[in-house]
Amino acid sequence: MGGRFRLIVPAMALLILVSASRVLIAQSAPDTAQQQPASPAPPAGTSLPPAPPPATPPVAAPSVTVIDAQEARGIIGNEVRSAADENMGRIVDVIVDGSGRTRAAIIDFGGFLGVGSRKIAVDWKALHFVPAASKRYGIMLELTRDQVKLAPEVKEGKPIVVLGPSGILEPLP
Amino acid sequence: MAEPSCTASHPSKRSLRGLDWFVFFVADVQTGFGPFVAVYLTSEKWTQVDIGLVLTAAGLVGLVGQIPGGALLDAARSERFVAAIAVALISVSALAYALYPIFPVVLVAACLHAAASCVLGPAIAAISLGLVGPSAIGERLGRNARFASIGAGLTAGVMGVVGYLISPSAVFFVTAALLVPTWLTLRTIAPREIDPEQAHGNAPMPHKPNNRQAEPRAPLDLRRLLLRSPLLIFGGCILLFHLANAAMLPLMGSVLTMRLSDWATVLIAACMVGPQLIVAIFSPWVGRQAQRWGRRPLLIAGFAFLPIRGVLFATVSDPYLLVAVQLLDGLTASVFSVLVPLTIADLTRGTGRFNLTQGMVGTMTGLGASLSPTLAGYATDSYGSSVAFLSLATVAAVGLTAVALLMPETRPPPEPPP
Repeated sequence: MGGRFRLIVPAMALLILVSASRVLIAQSAPDTAQQQPASPAPPAGTSLPPAPPPATPPVAAPSVTVIDAQEARGIIGNEVRSAADENMGRIVDVIVDGSGRTRAAIIDFGGFLGVGSRKIAVDWKALHFVPAASKRYGIMLELTRDQVKLAPEVKEGKPIVVLGPSGILEPLP
Repeated sequence: MAEPSCTASHPSKRSLRGLDWFVFFVADVQTGFGPFVAVYLTSEKWTQVDIGLVLTAAGLVGLVGQIPGGALLDAARSERFVAAIAVALISVSALAYALYPIFPVVLVAACLHAAASCVLGPAIAAISLGLVGPSAIGERLGRNARFASIGAGLTAGVMGVVGYLISPSAVFFVTAALLVPTWLTLRTIAPREIDPEQAHGNAPMPHKPNNRQAEPRAPLDLRRLLLRSPLLIFGGCILLFHLANAAMLPLMGSVLTMRLSDWATVLIAACMVGPQLIVAIFSPWVGRQAQRWGRRPLLIAGFAFLPIRGVLFATVSDPYLLVAVQLLDGLTASVFSVLVPLTIADLTRGTGRFNLTQGMVGTMTGLGASLSPTLAGYATDSYGSSVAFLSLATVAAVGLTAVALLMPETRPPPEPPP
C-alpha cells in the first residue's frame, strides 16, 4: 500500500506541475485575447457609448448610458434560427470594417457534437434581432438551411465570402 | 514466456464483468470531450482564438504525456489505483468545464483531461493484460473494444439529446456524474487478480509462500527496446494510419453539411454511431481470429479498408451512400482497436515495457491524428474535397504497403500444453 503511494504521488504532482506551468505560460496571452469579445458584443445591461471626442473640455467626465438588459445584449455564442425556426448554428464572430460598420456575422453551422460543422459568413443585413417585445430574445436569419449549406467555409487569412440576404454569395472587399 | 501455464492466472468472472463495464463507462466519460468542447465553449461566448489556444494546449499535453504516462504505468504496482485517479481527474475537469467556463480554469481542465487520458487508455490495456495474461489477451481486447464502442455509441446519442434539449453544459455535468458508476465498476475488479508483472509485459510474478513480495524483475534496457525493428515499423505504420484516418470523418461531415440541409445532422450522427455498432459486433471475433490466424492477415485487411474508403468518399456523391461507406470505418476500427494493443503486447513480451511502448505508439497515433486535419485542410482549400480524400487514401495505401511488405507476424509460438 505504502509503496504504491510512494510511486504515484510524485507522478501525479508532476502531472499537476506540468499543467500548472502551461497555465502560467498561456495566461499572459489570454489577457489580451479575452478582451476581444467585448468589442463586437457589448456586455448585457450597461454599455459604454463611444468615448467623447477629446477636443472638447479636458475635464469632461465620461458619460454613462444605461441600457436595459431586455433592450440590447451580447450575441457571441447565441443561437441563430431561420424564419422557419430551423437551427442555423451559433454566432462565433462579427466582421467589422474600418469605419466600424458591422458587415457580416460568422455562424458555426451544422454538424453533430461538433463533428462536421462549418463556419460561414452571412451578411449582417440578413440577421434580425428580435427585441424585447417578444418573450425570448432571439436572432433570426433571413435565409434557409438550403441557402446556407453551400456557402464556403471561412478561413483565417483568406478573403471572406459573405452570403447575402438574398442567398447570393459575394466576396467582402 | 516459458512459464508453464499452471501459473497462468484465472481471473474470476466478477473481475472480468467489472472490466467490461469499466471499459464501457470510461468510453462514456470520454465521449463528451473531443469536438464537442468547441461547441460548448462557443455557446459560453468564447472567441475562436481562445478555443483554439485551449485545444492546442490540450493537444500538446496529450502528445507529450503519452510516454511519461506509459512509464508511470510500468512503474506502478497497482494499475487499478492509477486508473481510479485518472478517472477522478477527468471527472473533475468535466465539472470545471461545466461550472467555470473561464479561460484559466478551462485551460487547466483541458490539460488535466489530456494528461489523465494518456494514462487511462494504456491503463485499461494493462489491467486487461494483468488480469488474463498474454495467452488470452487477444480475446479480452476484443471484448474491451466491444464494450468501449457500445459505450461511446450510446453516449454520443444520449449526449446529443442532452445537449440539444437541456444545455451544452449539461453534457459535462453528466460526464462528471459518470465518475460514480466508473469507480464502482473498477472496485469489482479484484486487485490481487491483476498481476502487476504481467500488466507490465513480464511473465507472471512467481508466488512464493514465504516471501510475499517478490523482487520485481528489471525491465529491458530502453535502447535495446528501441532497436527492435518490428516495433519501429509498427509505430511508423500506425502514424500513417492515423494520418490517413483522423480527418476522414470530419471532412466527410462537412461535405454532408454542404450537400444536405435537413438530414445532415442525423446522417453525421449515424456516421459516428454506425461504425461503433460494427466494432461492437466484430471486435470479439477479431480478437479470437488474431489468435487463430495470426495478426498479419487481420492487420492487412483492416488497413486495406482505409484507402478503399478514401477513394469511395472521393467518388460517391449520394449522401446516403456516403453513410454506408463510413461503415467501413467500423471494420477498420474493430481491427485496430484490438490489434494495436495486442501487437504491442506481443512485441514487448518479457520486457516489462508494455505500457511505455503503448505510450510510444500513442505518441505516433497523436502525431498522425493531429497532422491529418492540416493535410486534409490544405488539400481541400487548394483542390477541393475529392482531392483531399484521394490524398488521404494515398497515405493509407503507403501505410498498407508498409504493413504488407515490412511488418512481421508477431503472434508468439503456441505454448506447449501442460
